Amino acid sequence: MEEYVGQLWHKLVTRVADKQHADVAVSLDEISKTAAIFFRALGGDAGLNLSAAPSTRHGARRSWRDRLASSGERVELSWRDGETLRLPEKIDIFTKRSLNRDLYLWLVALSAANVDDNLPWIVRNQKATQVTLERFPGLLARYRRLVNALLPLRPLPTNLPTAEAAQEAAIRQALIQPGSIHALPPSKKPFQPVLLWTHPTPPLSAASKGSSSDGAPEREQSEDKNVEKSRKKHSAERTDMPDGKDGFLMMFRAESLFSWTEYINVNRPQDEEDDVESAALAAEDMDTMTIARDGETSVAKLRFDLDLPPAGEDDTPLGEGIPLPEWDYKKQIMQPDYCRLQELVSQQAEICELPAQLRRTARCLRSQFQALAPTRTWLKGQQDGEEIDLDAWVRQEADLLSGKHSDSRGMYRAQVNQQRDLACLLLADLSLSTDAYASDHARVIDVIRDSLYLFSEALSATGDRFAMYGFSSLKRGNVRFNRLKSFDDRYDGLARGRIQAIKPGYYTRMGAAIRQASALLAEQPQRQRLLLLLTDGKPNDLDRYEGRYGIEDTRMALHEARQLGLRPFCVTIDREANEYLPHLFGAGGFAVIRKPEDLPKELPLLYAQMTR
Amino acid sequence: MENLPFYQSHGSEIELFERAWRNNLPLLIKGPTGCGKTRFVAHMAAKLCLPLHTVACHDDLTAADLVGRHLIVDGQTVWSDGPLTRAVREGGICYLDEVVEARKDTTVVLHPLADDRRILPIDRTGEILAAPPSFMLVVSYNPGYQNFLKGMKPSTRQRFISLAFDFPSATQEVAILIGETGIDEMLAKRLVSIANAFRALKDHDLEEVASTRLLVYAATLIKDGCEPALACRAALVETLTDDPETAMALREVIDATFGL
Repeated sequence: MEEYVGQLWHKLVTRVADKQHADVAVSLDEISKTAAIFFRALGGDAGLNLSAAPSTRHGARRSWRDRLASSGERVELSWRDGETLRLPEKIDIFTKRSLNRDLYLWLVALSAANVDDNLPWIVRNQKATQVTLERFPGLLARYRRLVNALLPLRPLPTNLPTAEAAQEAAIRQALIQPGSIHALPPSKKPFQPVLLWTHPTPPLSAASKGSSSDGAPEREQSEDKNVEKSRKKHSAERTDMPDGKDGFLMMFRAESLFSWTEYINVNRPQDEEDDVESAALAAEDMDTMTIARDGETSVAKLRFDLDLPPAGEDDTPLGEGIPLPEWDYKKQIMQPDYCRLQELVSQQAEICELPAQLRRTARCLRSQFQALAPTRTWLKGQQDGEEIDLDAWVRQEADLLSGKHSDSRGMYRAQVNQQRDLACLLLADLSLSTDAYASDHARVIDVIRDSLYLFSEALSATGDRFAMYGFSSLKRGNVRFNRLKSFDDRYDGLARGRIQAIKPGYYTRMGAAIRQASALLAEQPQRQRLLLLLTDGKPNDLDRYEGRYGIEDTRMALHEARQLGLRPFCVTIDREANEYLPHLFGAGGFAVIRKPEDLPKELPLLYAQMTR
Repeated sequence: MENLPFYQSHGSEIELFERAWRNNLPLLIKGPTGCGKTRFVAHMAAKLCLPLHTVACHDDLTAADLVGRHLIVDGQTVWSDGPLTRAVREGGICYLDEVVEARKDTTVVLHPLADDRRILPIDRTGEILAAPPSFMLVVSYNPGYQNFLKGMKPSTRQRFISLAFDFPSATQEVAILIGETGIDEMLAKRLVSIANAFRALKDHDLEEVASTRLLVYAATLIKDGCEPALACRAALVETLTDDPETAMALREVIDATFGL
């Protein structure tokens, strides 16, 4: 009963205090692609990701309603760092949808302005506003509308104590007339957050500290329910792992509630499955998640098999490893011989037939691909053909008239299929993330395996030269490059056996794998050379190979591939791929398969479209 | 000279062209689509008072299409010169646009013309034409096309001196828009600012970027009384992308420039 009444009360007061307008809210999801392109068009750094900003406590004065409902104490503001542009997850402060949308675009435009980051907050924002309005005068009307809508939502200086009133007056003045305020008057109480400006003191993001996924294998994809929320990053800080003697596990529920913000107890082996949800809710409310650094990170379903298998059981290494360079975007240098790539071939592969469930599709694909018409050309001087070869006929007539002997060749033109001059190398991501379930009954790795099978069936029907490799990595010294079928191997039972034997493991050091694949493909004499990458996520590895570092190295590797005259193309099942693939592969250089289970059928068709 | 096609120089290309022509050197011009390659050649031909023969190359173009063929007229075969042969006979400029589109074996016919021999053997008639000093061979192509099949044979390529074109600088582009269409400077500046915003999206969100030609189209529409934002949508946004979300972002850039 108590609980019920409490809930009713909570509902009531939050509704009274709620200044948001849910029905006219604009969410980041619906605007993210437009916002990202807008950001780049206005001169923003093309390498940045777009992501939702965590809400932060502003500490400013709140109305009595807000205090009663304990709401309105947190705010989502935008900011950008070296990797990410952060925008509020949704904007619903204005009563008109168009204004909420305008605010998004305004924040994007403001973030794209190139202003010295070391300027004081209030000066920097005014400067950015001025620069933006000068470059894009059309935004002025929009800016005025936003300011006019925002000012009534801010506290009136007359209702505030002197120091805060001076501050508020300065902010209002700066909004109305950018460039007119040179310093923010001091006040003990923080000012009301300014939603038209960037964050005054952006929290450090986990990524910029360089270790968000250190020690955490890439398993996020299996946790579907977290996909939405996980976009919203928590500000993270790093502490040492307590040794456990301090007894940090609170015995009393009440106390552990208070202790939440100091710590997330990452050592939660006894957490029940269904507790994950309430933990997630609690985590939403925290300012800073403190994660201790030790190997065993939290998420309930984690499994570890990160040690390399003993040599006897591992795949057979071929050769002694190939040193490969890696690109460091921060220093803008290529680090020679930075990675070691080992080509492997599976020991356990046994000669096998195509799995029964694929045979029907395979037969269908084969006949489609045999009928697939490659480029057509007209052949002249044929004995038979669709059209008269006027040139040949005229020549013969001319020869006859001039009394010369005519070597009566064919008088027809015929349309024939030209020989395909094409080589393709398929590079499949075999990292541990492919162990996740793609649908109710198949893991990503199973989908990839079926795709490899059907792809091989289709390509062997066309007669195009192709090779297939898988890759994974464990830090820069162990880039694993599994040979499934080289260009010279036949597609036979053994190749099928190797496909059957692929298994997920380790991480995704994409750059090194692409470099090796490019080198192999570049040796092929064919005119068209296609490098097809099959993946389920971003490049990442245990060391610093993640975030922008990994992306930029991959981008460089792809650039090198294009320089070699190869054509890279990426097929992915990562739903967030639109955030980084355009940067890597360009607008027409990738395809996102929304339903992973469609991949096996889609892949050969994509290939057909690409090579027609 | 009144009929000289408008061309805004952006470097030493006019001087180079004249030197190449004086010294009987063939010229290769490369650059993105709509940056003024064809206009430049037309301008130079008019300036040097030479007849211009333009061939738009395509992948069915044969050597006969360039050199000429026999036609049947009243039961007689008559030799008809192709554009290349005509240009050689008249001593004009032969301009092969998008030369990489032509099949590689077709362009081999250019070889004897493009080196110091400067002859055109016509094997059908047995004639060997020697090019007069005023003849000039100019070819162009767009290296940016994502057509990884096509490139020029090195043996063809190495017979030309090469001139790289790119989109003009902002001030020059403003001058071009004013010179071409007569719109006012403020408007020209805004159009160029939009184009440069779009060009930042190359290789990322757009496959091809806004060319000067498209800007001229937009300016022409505006000059004709079209509302600027509408003109830009028609001439730039919808021309550059089919993706609705990308189009929306591009429209935002236009609105950010012209206002609502």
